[in-house]
Amino acid sequence: MSNMPANQVIWDEMFAPEGVRNRYKVVYEALQQMSGDALQAKDLQAADFFMNQGITFTVYSDNKGIERIFPFDIIPRIITGKEWDHVEKGIQQRLKALNMFLKDIYSEQQIIKDGIIPASLIASCPHFLKEAVGIKVPHDIYVHISGIDLIRGNDGKFYVLEDNLRTPSGVSYMLENREVTKRIFPDLLAQNQVRMVNNYPMKLLNILSSLSPRPVDQPNVVILTPGVYNSAYYEHTFLARTMGIPLVEGRDLVVDNQKVFMKTTAGLQPVDVIYRRIDDEYIDPLVFRPDSVLGVPGIMSAYRKGNVALVNAIGNGVADDKAVYAYVPDMIKYYLNEESILSNVPTYRMEKEDERKYVFDNLNSMVVKQTNQSGGYGLVMGNKATDAELNELKVAILDNPRNFIAQPIIQLSTVPCLVDGKLESRHVDLRPYALCGPDGIEIVPGGLTRVALRKGSLVVNSSQGGGSKDTWVVDIEE
Amino acid sequence: MLSRIADNMFWLNRYMERADGLARATRYFYILGFDSWEGDTLGYGPLLQSFTSLSAEERVTMQADSQHLLRFVIQDAANINSLKVLLSKARENARGSQDRVTKELWEQVNAMYHFITNEGLVNKLKGEETLKVLDQLEKHCLLYNGIVDSTMPRGLGWEFMNLGKFIERSLQTVDLVDAYLSPMQYDLEQNDNLLYWRRLLYALSGYELYLKTNRGSHHSRQVICQVIFNADFPRSVIYSLKRIEKYLQSLLEENPHPDAAVIIRRFGRLKSMVEFTDTANMNGQELKELVKQIRHQLWDFSAEFSRLFFSYT
Repeated sequence: MSNMPANQVIWDEMFAPEGVRNRYKVVYEALQQMSGDALQAKDLQAADFFMNQGITFTVYSDNKGIERIFPFDIIPRIITGKEWDHVEKGIQQRLKALNMFLKDIYSEQQIIKDGIIPASLIASCPHFLKEAVGIKVPHDIYVHISGIDLIRGNDGKFYVLEDNLRTPSGVSYMLENREVTKRIFPDLLAQNQVRMVNNYPMKLLNILSSLSPRPVDQPNVVILTPGVYNSAYYEHTFLARTMGIPLVEGRDLVVDNQKVFMKTTAGLQPVDVIYRRIDDEYIDPLVFRPDSVLGVPGIMSAYRKGNVALVNAIGNGVADDKAVYAYVPDMIKYYLNEESILSNVPTYRMEKEDERKYVFDNLNSMVVKQTNQSGGYGLVMGNKATDAELNELKVAILDNPRNFIAQPIIQLSTVPCLVDGKLESRHVDLRPYALCGPDGIEIVPGGLTRVALRKGSLVVNSSQGGGSKDTWVVDIEE
Repeated sequence: MLSRIADNMFWLNRYMERADGLARATRYFYILGFDSWEGDTLGYGPLLQSFTSLSAEERVTMQADSQHLLRFVIQDAANINSLKVLLSKARENARGSQDRVTKELWEQVNAMYHFITNEGLVNKLKGEETLKVLDQLEKHCLLYNGIVDSTMPRGLGWEFMNLGKFIERSLQTVDLVDAYLSPMQYDLEQNDNLLYWRRLLYALSGYELYLKTNRGSHHSRQVICQVIFNADFPRSVIYSLKRIEKYLQSLLEENPHPDAAVIIRRFGRLKSMVEFTDTANMNGQELKELVKQIRHQLWDFSAEFSRLFFSYT
């Protein structure tokens, strides 16, 4: 392995300007002892592991379905315990405020009346659902499961890039990445005393069970999947298996007298809690999209009546809208009277004339995002786009300013990755997964580190050529 | 248990049993194909008749090129009963019931799927590599059965899986028997040369048992007695029917159904018909009628069973 010089402009997770960071010393020394062939062998071993487990997606070409694994990089991303504790507190604070915001926005809307958030912003949000207004949810929890996307800037601080409060995916990769690391770097894992992650399914099941509307010892908790062709189907099966609960499809459920039942070989059985991995608009064809065949007709009536708990709550999209995101620090101040522990990335709202003018004047150093898109779609990097594309973008922004936000292009931190047998730096982000239950907010240490595998790319989404890494939280002081 | 999951588990094991039967039969038909003898008029015919939907003429054409035949039964996606298609369907059913099947089982089905869909496999189905591939396929099937037995919890899922398996197995045996008896017009006095029956017995893993338990020269009748009526032979029809009865009873105890009496009576008639056949005095025409009845009644039973437990759409 060659010595990789620390980049002064970009924060490198392994190398500081003065040398290898303490947290990486054991790993770095071990990597120094390994040949390129040995690293390649570990890479192959990891790929075999994912292939044999069926952790794959299918690429269709020439009428043939080719199974591919989601790219995994074997070099772990390491975070110190102290850094993690700060991140954990920041996410807990943020989620507390976001939950309070959702309760408020679907009932009194005090935050609008007090002038903190403009009414027009909420009214124009496609994910604000009038059908969810007034629905009482168990324990006032709306966001049970969330993934908060963080990036580390060149000052070494973590910033919140995005909140995912609807059906965030990827937690199974976080857990499976650790399982593969146990096989390829067992000694390093043990020596570094990495904090455990695999109790996530137990914690999730406890929270789901606690939401049951029926006071029974063993409520019927299920996961609702769109089906085997959904790209996250592996994750749905993984969660069902690791929690020991049924994985159901919409066609397995039926609503009778405002109660949800599943069709079993012994007749209809009541369902108490549904962890649904189906978007709001598909959940009930009687209320939302009438052409949806994935959902369950009448389920909203059972939900409204309180006869079934839906996880996450319906209508959460209003809180992770990219334009509403800019107001989260204000929400924290408003609801909790606290300053944000984790900062947002500076965000310019295109409906504000002065901010829009500033963005237009500095478009080359901005990333412009559509507020209703995710997964790396609807995103224009100002420094990569052509003049024609930028002009087109300006027209689109002027046509519908609410649909866009802009942020300065931030050079995400880098981590060494194994690329073609050699170690090279690639940009990463971090998605920790948080669970909110009646007893508080818990976050398993680490999360999913996503890697932009294309050289120089800042886009980490799996749909855009991204991969992932195992994330270690270690109690090592810098 | 969700009806859809029960359906998935039932079909997972049906497809796997069909794949197991096809893999074993192909391997033995291939090996014994090297030992030609003057009375060998059937060749791969019974294999193709039992495990494919080819017409009689197509079966004859197919036999002219054994490499082509192997590719057809193993890896041809256009053949709806090739191992590739069967294992793909099994995997889809396993995928659809992943919350009920064990991780070990899923991984084995998945490993078999990747083995059979490997693009390099087709080049190995020739020359000295052929038997190695056929050996590996059979080992995979044996491993799957061992994993199912040692990891799957007993209960409803287990019962649905086994019902699928033994319905499939009894139909397979009946089909193979018919493929050997039809060319001799069900005349049990014909073909008393054991060589005629050797492929059938090997394909059902019954050759060793046959040698150990049968003496004399009335091979046609003795072979039929073993593969249909011997309750100790795990691929005989009666053995499979007894297993179906056992799993059906357990299933209905755990999962009572208002129409259970009908299906139990229907199945009881089928099993009694086989169990109380006078094998010593049975003539060829009676045997032909029996084979026909077993097949039709099993189809009816399977359809009725699906209607009772899997009608979830």
